[in-house]
Amino acid sequence: MASVSASHLILFIASMIIAASVAGVLTDTVGRLSGAIDDQGLQVSEDVRTDVEIISDSGSDAVYNASGDDLVVVHLKNTGSETLSVDGTAIDVLLDGRYETDVTAALVDGADSWRPGEVARLTIDRSSDPLESGTDHRLKVVVNGDEEVFEFRS
Amino acid sequence: MGFSVSGSAAILFVGAFIAFGMFHSATTNSFERVSEAEDDRAEDALAQQNTDLAIVTASHNATTDVLWVNTTNTGAESLSVGDTDLLVDNDYRTGWAANATVDGDNATDLWLPGETLAVAFDESTAPDRVKVVTETGVSATAEVIQRG
Repeated sequence: MASVSASHLILFIASMIIAASVAGVLTDTVGRLSGAIDDQGLQVSEDVRTDVEIISDSGSDAVYNASGDDLVVVHLKNTGSETLSVDGTAIDVLLDGRYETDVTAALVDGADSWRPGEVARLTIDRSSDPLESGTDHRLKVVVNGDEEVFEFRS
Repeated sequence: MGFSVSGSAAILFVGAFIAFGMFHSATTNSFERVSEAEDDRAEDALAQQNTDLAIVTASHNATTDVLWVNTTNTGAESLSVGDTDLLVDNDYRTGWAANATVDGDNATDLWLPGETLAVAFDESTAPDRVKVVTETGVSATAEVIQRG
């Protein structure tokens, strides 16, 4: 009878090890999945909360080249409920379909974080490729997935 | 055999229980966060719909070199003077809020429905246009009229 209980013990230990490893893999996988869902929820809520508005006056002829140095200057107001970052990587700018790389963004009051209600100044340097005067232009600004279009005449 | 079946079943059960707990908290957290954001967005959209303003006078006096901009809150939303923006000829102006008056009161930050916000700028040359933007993004523009 000793051989029966010894083989029972071996089978018992083996089943415990297998069950433990299955449970471990299950919790690990679900843990990773939960982390991903958490991150995505945060991302989606940030996207939903983000809203910006281009508040520049397109009726004024001072949008482009106001000071004679081929700069397009527009102002962006944070009208959402999310604090945004205002560095060049957070804001994408397309002028007439062309992705602009020479863009500087700064808050008008000099603060670091772009809180709801605050205004950022966006300066696009087109001195390398000046806009023709009297032509129509379309400026697109993308912040956190929120797209704004501003049309003006140079 | 009896022990190994029930023992491993218990371990698997505990594992599944822990996994469900993690999954449940993650999904409810995410759901709550997103629905809260959507609520806030709907509230902002309502405030935007309720906002309306009209520029009553935008005039420049050539003898005193003063530009007056009077704007009336014609909506149903109470606005804040500090969160209102003013552009003169597409030039963003700062620091005007300290001297701005709402129906004659220069200490208040509230700009309630029906009240008129009056702002004065020292402007030696007459500008062409002014634009007033509220905190909800609703804006009004006007041409500057020459006086004096």
